[in-house]
Amino acid sequence: MSADVMPITENKNTKKAKAVDTPWKTALRRFTRNKLAVIGFITIVFMFILCFIGPFFSPHNLYDYSLKNKNLAPNVTYWLGTDKLGRDILLRMMLAGRISLLVGFVATFITVVVGATLGALAGFYGKFVDTIIMRVADIFMALPSLPILIILGAVLSDLKVDPDIRIYYLMVIIGILNWTTLARLVRGQILTLREQEFMQATEALGLKDGRKIFKHLLPNTIPVIIVTATLSVAGAILTESALSFLGVGVVPPTPSWGNMISAANNLIDFRKRPWLWIPPGMCILITSVAINLIGDGLRDALDPKTKK
Amino acid sequence: MTKKWNLMLVLLLSLTVVLSACSGGNNKEANAPAATNDTKETVDTTTPETPVAEEQSSGLIKATDVSLNPELAKNRKDTLIVGMVDPKGVFNPLFMETAYDFYVNYAIFDSFLEVKADGSYVNSLAEKIDVSEDGLKYTYHLKPGVTYTDGSPMKASDYLFTMKLLLDKSYDGESDPLSYHIVGAKEYNEGTSNDISGIKVIDDNTVEVSLTEYSALSPVELGGVYIMPESYYGKGYKQGNLESVKALNSKPVGSGQYKITSYKAGQEIVMAANENYFRGAPVVKNVIFKTTTDSTNMAMLQSGETDMDNINVSEDNVEELKALGFLDINILPNNGYGYIQFNHNDKKFQDPKVRQALTYGLNRSEIVEGIYGPYADVINIPQSKVSWSFTDENIEKYDFNIEKAKTLLDEAGWVVGASGIREKDGEKFKINFSATADNPVVESLLPIMTTNYKELGIEIVAEVLDFNAIMDKKTKGDFDMFFAAWGLTPDPDNTVFITKGAQNDAGYSNAKVDELMAKGKKEMDLEKRKEIYKEMYQELNKDVPMILMYQRTNMTSVNARAQGFDLSPYKEFPFSLYQVQLEQ
Amino acid sequence: MKQYIIRRLLQMIPTLIGISIIIFAISAMVPGDYITARANPNMSIEKQEQLRAIYGLDKPDYQRYFIWAGNMIKGNFGDSMQHKQPVTTVINTYVWNSFVIGIFALFFSWFIAMITGIFSAKFQYSFFDKVVTLLVFICMSLPSFFIGLLLIKFLALDLKLFPVGGMSTSGLNATGWTYFTDVLKHSFLPIMVLTMLSTGGLTRYFRTSMLEVIRQDYIRTARAKGLKERTVIFKHAFRNAMIPAITLLGFELPGLFGGAMILEQIFAWPGIGHIYLNSINMRDYPFMLGFTIFLAVLTLLGNLLADVLYGIADPRIRLK
Repeated sequence: MSADVMPITENKNTKKAKAVDTPWKTALRRFTRNKLAVIGFITIVFMFILCFIGPFFSPHNLYDYSLKNKNLAPNVTYWLGTDKLGRDILLRMMLAGRISLLVGFVATFITVVVGATLGALAGFYGKFVDTIIMRVADIFMALPSLPILIILGAVLSDLKVDPDIRIYYLMVIIGILNWTTLARLVRGQILTLREQEFMQATEALGLKDGRKIFKHLLPNTIPVIIVTATLSVAGAILTESALSFLGVGVVPPTPSWGNMISAANNLIDFRKRPWLWIPPGMCILITSVAINLIGDGLRDALDPKTKK
Repeated sequence: MTKKWNLMLVLLLSLTVVLSACSGGNNKEANAPAATNDTKETVDTTTPETPVAEEQSSGLIKATDVSLNPELAKNRKDTLIVGMVDPKGVFNPLFMETAYDFYVNYAIFDSFLEVKADGSYVNSLAEKIDVSEDGLKYTYHLKPGVTYTDGSPMKASDYLFTMKLLLDKSYDGESDPLSYHIVGAKEYNEGTSNDISGIKVIDDNTVEVSLTEYSALSPVELGGVYIMPESYYGKGYKQGNLESVKALNSKPVGSGQYKITSYKAGQEIVMAANENYFRGAPVVKNVIFKTTTDSTNMAMLQSGETDMDNINVSEDNVEELKALGFLDINILPNNGYGYIQFNHNDKKFQDPKVRQALTYGLNRSEIVEGIYGPYADVINIPQSKVSWSFTDENIEKYDFNIEKAKTLLDEAGWVVGASGIREKDGEKFKINFSATADNPVVESLLPIMTTNYKELGIEIVAEVLDFNAIMDKKTKGDFDMFFAAWGLTPDPDNTVFITKGAQNDAGYSNAKVDELMAKGKKEMDLEKRKEIYKEMYQELNKDVPMILMYQRTNMTSVNARAQGFDLSPYKEFPFSLYQVQLEQ
Repeated sequence: MKQYIIRRLLQMIPTLIGISIIIFAISAMVPGDYITARANPNMSIEKQEQLRAIYGLDKPDYQRYFIWAGNMIKGNFGDSMQHKQPVTTVINTYVWNSFVIGIFALFFSWFIAMITGIFSAKFQYSFFDKVVTLLVFICMSLPSFFIGLLLIKFLALDLKLFPVGGMSTSGLNATGWTYFTDVLKHSFLPIMVLTMLSTGGLTRYFRTSMLEVIRQDYIRTARAKGLKERTVIFKHAFRNAMIPAITLLGFELPGLFGGAMILEQIFAWPGIGHIYLNSINMRDYPFMLGFTIFLAVLTLLGNLLADVLYGIADPRIRLK
């Protein structure tokens, strides 16, 4: 949700607030006035409730399987049907959401924090700092992720790290592999912004670097940060399923949305058993659209140029 | 393209795993049987070819309505298009490694012997093979008048030449000719001699090979060498450097049924019939091996773009292909099996009762059925049911029996502790379990195994890992149990179960098995070998060195307009290409 | 500017050395090697040792690095273990097939993304904007193999508009125009899917960028001057909105040659992507390392190109 952007604005402008109309309050007011954004926010809250509380009300169990009931279409006992081992899709979808939502949000959060900070530093300081950060980014971009993940899987296995905990390593890895794109985008924008009049004003005011970067430069790059963040949530959710195969992601029978879609991997399932892939597909879609609505709302709310 | 390519790579992995998942399209499994082709069993190398036994085609589902054939296929009068995974372009029998390169080479080259549908061998290029009493001297009489596709005649000296290439110091192919025990092989390999003293060319059509040691595999190892023309491949060859031979990998010249007319890497290999083929010119004038993938192969058969392909076996796919009506569907046992390995260096697995209990306590039939339906069998000995050495006499089936498993564990001293987990001498029964990522069975194995073993009072921590990472753990001995699948050597001789065997790094050791294996390898009489291996399989079955899981099947679907293929798990489609006819 | 480019090119040398060391270390750390990956149940220990000696895998890692790096400097990438051919030959055989799809998809996706981005921004929150947004997220919520299968089903199997897969009709001995149209027909679906996948994200970036620019004072000024709306949008707003996109353009360079791996697999397209994947799975080090370095160079060049273009497009930026 707003977690992606909050730290940037929140940290820096709470204390100095004197008047009623702090930028943060304005933003909040603008955001709540945006109907679509509020709908998006409610949807996300709903998804979290569904996935984290829903399973407690299910009559089924994660470990239940029954080959007799395999590939059943939605019915009274199994509201969303069963998969090829006869497991309840609804329960699996809700449990999968716990993993996928977590992966999507945490990985995105890491991407944004690392990417935006490094990008801003590179763009603001330029010269040596820029060279170092951007060369590191180059190296990161050039590294093939698959072998790295294979190694990581093997190392985690050798260290006998509990498979349930590996998912956290996974979030960090996805986050770290993705920061470079955002860093380059933010840096590019800051290169331009740095030269604009308002920055000369901050110079004249003798503001500290930290304040210049976090209060004046980064807020102006929020649109691009938000786009990257909204796009990367769905990306991270799908990437997770790929990583499960390397011993880094979740281990069956624990489901994730990506895994559930990938399990329906042929034209026959596609045609005959839409209940296998539509539920998890819809979940990812709803989540990413909702995040996007929030993102749009946030962008409008935080835009320093609009006055309302 | 905002997603970076390197993330695409990861996503791709999911695809290969996912798409190839159902294929059991596990490279390892697919490669291995073909790769070990040269160790296939010999039964009788001199009997004339007999018609294929009925049972070989028991898995054949005939086409129901040929008139449904798509126009595209019907209009292709003189060309057969075979769909398959793309080969690596190594069209040289010395260096081929993948099953698909094998297919191409089978159509281009010949050897003294040829495999039959039941896995035994008959003479091919050889008119007659004389074997000495002690099995140490083989005299091959080459059929007269055989020519290569470049017009030059085949000579017995080409056999010596091919052997020289195989024994060259720089040879990095899959064959292991030093293990054939040919006299003088080592000297040639090391470069101390420029001739192989054990191979004598008597005249243009006769060559004699002497061995230092006999093994049951010798006849096939020696007779299965694909003969290459010295006049073509020998031009730039100097002992110790095979570069000039490798350079010809994409332009092969052999004596086989077909010759390559064009090769587009990753797309197709176009081949034309060899009109002078020594068994008579092939009926179909053009054969094309076309690249297909798991996602396209069925669609291409359906549209008529291909005439034949190997499609993953599953209930869905069989049903779908049957419904098309114009395909002959061959469902044949795969030369490979899935297994769960115990680490025999771990004390708890050294007790056979524990191993038996873990087998009884695992519902293998449900695991296998969940993925393959009826198209895979739970197995109890590590041998294909179509092999001559297969036996089910006195073989315990280890049907799922949780009570029996509990009793066995109690007997072994593992009793349920306060926490509900079994304990012995203060040690909890905990298993760290790894399963290979690229195997579809994992999907049903992990949930069912977790449930089953929990009920037994065993704590199981499961993970999914890259195949090579598991093999690495195996080599280091750093594992409890893992699941994988691999190829099955048609001959029961292998090093998987013998003490300190090359493939036995799980530390299994059983004196009786070692003894029987050694005996079987030295025995020349097939009936006696059968008895020896029967006893060995019974011992393995009792001792449970690993939990044997399943043998799955392969499905080759052929457009009914192409008739005459002679297919079996041992005899792959290229061997009978020259007999195939296209019905109009 | 010239100085800047030279300096950046010089900086590439240490970066590349760093990359080569890291990549080599990764390859050395990855469990297994070509011989274990082959998993031949019949291979004897002696044979395994022989092969490792021939491939030089028996030497210590640091020695192997210097041998490999030394050969790379001389332009010798070594032989692919799987293909038994020089790595450069293998790359050259497959990379152009990937390039064909890549370049078309690049062109179409940028074109479409620009148009939709502009209109989505111009008519923010309109029906059009909402539909585009939804489509973008549908594309992003399904794995790409799924979209590929979907199109094969509808366009190739049901409507029979395009061939199912492959790059040309089997046994077609055509040259010139016939061959060209044949390949064109075969490449339609893969290009379409690749375009769909890449357009989504780009559209979002362009839309945002456009939204930013439209609100700027100089656009208001332009409108106030009485310029036609079309001129304002396409000439004034668009040009400025495209500046941030230059960074994205830099990322495309390695993508062009890297191959669209998932799609190659789905459409049986003979590209370099699945060859690369295979080389990783089979631990075919010479190819894996060689191709990774090749892509690394392209990545560095792409980023350099982006920075240079950025400086040209926006003179306010001081590149130093």
